[in-house]
Amino acid sequence: MALIERPRTGDLTPAVATPEATYGAFRRPVHSTGWKSWLFTIDHKKIGIMYGVTALFFFLVGGLEALLIRAQLAGPNGTILSADMYNQMFTMHATTMVFLFVMPMAAAFANYLIPLQIGARDVAFPRINAFSFWCFLFGAIFINTSWLLGGAADGGWFMYAPNSSVPFSPTNGIDFWGLGIQITGVASLTGAINLIVTVINMRAPGMTFMKMPIFTWMAFVVQFLLVFAIPVITVALFLLMFQRSFDATFFTVEAGADPLLWQHLFWIFGHPEVYILILPSFGIVSEVLPVFSKKPLFGYPLVVFSGAAIGFVGWGVWAHHMFASGLGPISVAVFSVATMAIAIPTGVKIVNWTMTMWGGKLVFSTAMLFAIGLIVQFTIGGLSGVTHAVAPSDTQQTDTYYIVAHFHYVLFGGAVLGIFAGLYYWWPKIFGRMLSETLGKWNFWLMVIGLNMAFGPMHIIGLQGQPRRMYVWTEARAGEGFFNLGFWNLISSIGAFVLGFGVLIFFYNVWRTHFGRHKAPPAPLDPWDARSLEWMTTNPPKEINFDRTPVVSHLDEFFHRKYEDRGDDHAGYEPVATAEEVLAIEEANADDDVHLPSPSYWPIILAFALPIMAYGVIYNILLIAVGGIIVLLAMFGWALEPATAPDSDYDPPSDGGTDLELPTHG
Amino acid sequence: MTESSTLRSRLRTAALALTAAVVLASCAQDAPQDTWDPAGSEAQKIHDLQWPIFLIAGIVGLIVFAVVAVCVVKFKDRGQPIPEQTHGKAWLEYLFIALPAVLLAGIAVPSVAVIIELNDTDNADCVVNVTGQQWWWEYDYPIAGDGSICGYMPSGESGSIVTSGQMVIPTDAKVVIRGTSRDVIHSFWVPRLNGKRDMVPGRLHTWNFHADRPGIYAGQCAEFCGLSHANMRMEIVALDPVDFQAWIDNQLEPYQSPEDGTLAADGEAEFIAQCARCHQVDGLTDADGELVVAHPEDQVYSGAAPNLTNFATRNTFAGATWDLLTEECRDDVWEADPENFGERYLAGVDRDCLNAIDLRAWLRDAPAMKPMYTEPEQLEATDGLVRGMPYLALSEDQIDSLVAYLLERK
Repeated sequence: MALIERPRTGDLTPAVATPEATYGAFRRPVHSTGWKSWLFTIDHKKIGIMYGVTALFFFLVGGLEALLIRAQLAGPNGTILSADMYNQMFTMHATTMVFLFVMPMAAAFANYLIPLQIGARDVAFPRINAFSFWCFLFGAIFINTSWLLGGAADGGWFMYAPNSSVPFSPTNGIDFWGLGIQITGVASLTGAINLIVTVINMRAPGMTFMKMPIFTWMAFVVQFLLVFAIPVITVALFLLMFQRSFDATFFTVEAGADPLLWQHLFWIFGHPEVYILILPSFGIVSEVLPVFSKKPLFGYPLVVFSGAAIGFVGWGVWAHHMFASGLGPISVAVFSVATMAIAIPTGVKIVNWTMTMWGGKLVFSTAMLFAIGLIVQFTIGGLSGVTHAVAPSDTQQTDTYYIVAHFHYVLFGGAVLGIFAGLYYWWPKIFGRMLSETLGKWNFWLMVIGLNMAFGPMHIIGLQGQPRRMYVWTEARAGEGFFNLGFWNLISSIGAFVLGFGVLIFFYNVWRTHFGRHKAPPAPLDPWDARSLEWMTTNPPKEINFDRTPVVSHLDEFFHRKYEDRGDDHAGYEPVATAEEVLAIEEANADDDVHLPSPSYWPIILAFALPIMAYGVIYNILLIAVGGIIVLLAMFGWALEPATAPDSDYDPPSDGGTDLELPTHG
Repeated sequence: MTESSTLRSRLRTAALALTAAVVLASCAQDAPQDTWDPAGSEAQKIHDLQWPIFLIAGIVGLIVFAVVAVCVVKFKDRGQPIPEQTHGKAWLEYLFIALPAVLLAGIAVPSVAVIIELNDTDNADCVVNVTGQQWWWEYDYPIAGDGSICGYMPSGESGSIVTSGQMVIPTDAKVVIRGTSRDVIHSFWVPRLNGKRDMVPGRLHTWNFHADRPGIYAGQCAEFCGLSHANMRMEIVALDPVDFQAWIDNQLEPYQSPEDGTLAADGEAEFIAQCARCHQVDGLTDADGELVVAHPEDQVYSGAAPNLTNFATRNTFAGATWDLLTEECRDDVWEADPENFGERYLAGVDRDCLNAIDLRAWLRDAPAMKPMYTEPEQLEATDGLVRGMPYLALSEDQIDSLVAYLLERK
């Protein structure tokens, strides 16, 4: 659905649908407050918040799983978890963190921020947006119901064949896993297409691609990665489903299958997935660092291009996950060199962030601390990455704790610290109150100390020979001396709990900001002296995002409205307007008669049918029919429902106004 | 050079040395699977390649941290004017693309050379067939056309050697393993001798080992292989040529039944009744003088069970996860110097050194020690076939006799 705007002089009330007529059996929802306004919303901001809340919930779930793993491994021959439970735990820890926390958290930021950053009123297909969220939520719940229905998946998040076949994993856990990821994949795929169309078509007047905020750029690259990566895992998961549920033999060696097929499919998805996880955080810190350095992003075009380059080269390195799997020296050599090559655009980003700070006017807010934390921690992960791009070295390192250390520095030190930078930075924008900076600093330092205690020793543990995914380790292999592997395993476990405590401080901070006795006052309009468009509106933004569609003439448009260059040498920037003044001009020239798409029942109904069908695959084929009928009805209901309720105050154009976008059916 | 700069450079050297010392001292000593303690030429090649790369990575890291630290200290907001709104300097950008590119090219060239060297499995002195199975490794020594095994001619009659847990190889020989798997993917990894190589069902992978000195080299299955992945270990035992010849000859000695009337003789009967369905003992005959041939494929999902012909010549059991030797005797073997190692190892297991506690516990209830999906309700997906040694409900007397019998298998 495109947004319909028709400037008209008159009152300033944004249109809200108030349908009288019914469609089929239902009257169209109109709620803008209360729980129904969330269930049936198609507002990208509400959907973004729901993504974020759900993702943070699963962050706690995945964190709990991590703590159980580290509790088990704190000492030799741990007995807290059985072998079976341990295998489920590490499988679900990775699955939860990757698919149910970092990816949807990135979706939360992208959903909330992209329309605001490009000066749009919503995404291109608001109902599909809602559908994406509900698919994610129902898929996530579906996967986790496996805990109560005979056990969760136990094959590792990489789910290598043939260990994923029924004889080797007789519970339904892997069925839940595969079907659940399939459903969340629908969310990612539809969401990606939606955001790509949004970015390409709905940028504010004047915002060329090279004036687009860097977070939007990075998220944009990620959406392309999703569009091409998700279909690969979809195919792989279908093969797995047929293998397990319908006696197919795609991975049955006796029938002539080659188990490496799965590895190739998984990692052709899996490696771009790594960049899907990290690039949004790269985008976040590329927003945060300039704001708190009072300088534009150093080498903006290069950061954009290196992001895109990572997006491309990321497709040519998947087999570095398979250096030990017997590919043959030529393939290994090629992928080894390609993997080294991807360090170049990644290095470019580190350099540009550092140079952004160089010569700046640095303010160490919590968001800034997390951003600087990302530079340092991600660098460690990136450099250990170079050591296993060297394939011979990798044959010693792969499947050991050294790799666990590496990707936790990349994903926790990179993706998660970036997410926290974003949370602290945009919290006042999204919720209108500022998180406590004091608690924020406790939050930051405990997380950074915890993460280095938890994952730092894993470098040693791995290089000295402890493989991953073992439910127990033994003193017989731990070596001698005070600093033996037992010592480092214990430190790592203690670090994990410190890290967990740091994370809890964040949740306490949220509670305190919004609900406690010391509730924070409403945030100032422009608390950070920000630079990009999403700050050129109220906190939180109105449902219509902007009073007037902004007209953009600069990268960092908001900064350039607040500051002007008084000299010829670009040296003398001085404030010319406060944020309030900038906003007052926009308000005074507000577009009127803005039409927003109306809420709808169909996205949630359609999404709800998918887990029903998935249960059908596992338990009873009849359920597939039930779910299928709901899907069919919902699709018809959706197709027949106009994007905007007809009896809202939308008037069809009589003069073919030039600023009118044609409505499409999202 | 001024005095202060000399002092500074000395301090810097001292700081570097201290850092290096701290890093080294904070690692475990004598970790049996230490990838930074190579004991064979393949691991050495990897080590020679990787330590400079770690060093370079470390230096690059320190530079980045230093620059970040300078920014944080120097450019803190102290009320300075709004900085120049610069979008960057092109030459600097190109420099920072070119620098890492050159550095990485410098790393790539030797990497590719070592990749090719490590994969050269031609001209083997010795070949061993290695098969992974949930959750143990089988080693099968093929007999060459001239009757030699692993490059050595047996003193007596040649024959097949099938063993498990510990792979015995000669020192100073290029040993090539030909590996596969009977069920899921496993990975063969003995870090002090070489990196890892996956063993994939339906595929045959080769990999090199070359031990410089006699000794035991520990390893662990490195690819997640299901429930008892953690309990799937292996050891490579390197013996010098004389000792290796002795080992081969010993392995090929014909089967000897226990003397009548001994506990071990009872054990042989128990073994035939309880164990021989799955476990092969070459040359074992039943009361009628018929050869007893195990048919593990009728019982075990993956199709095999460890061959126990020379059980007591090994130091470990159950996927090399438990020791057959008491801790003291084990240390005697593991810590023996290279000259005495062969003698100690070839002594095998006797009653004084036997780790009876773990072996008896295993015979009493194997799945309690090592999770193996052997409960009847877990066998639906495998049509009743077990995936490891099931609970056999043996009495203590049966266990006594079986232990006595097994101790003679050397």
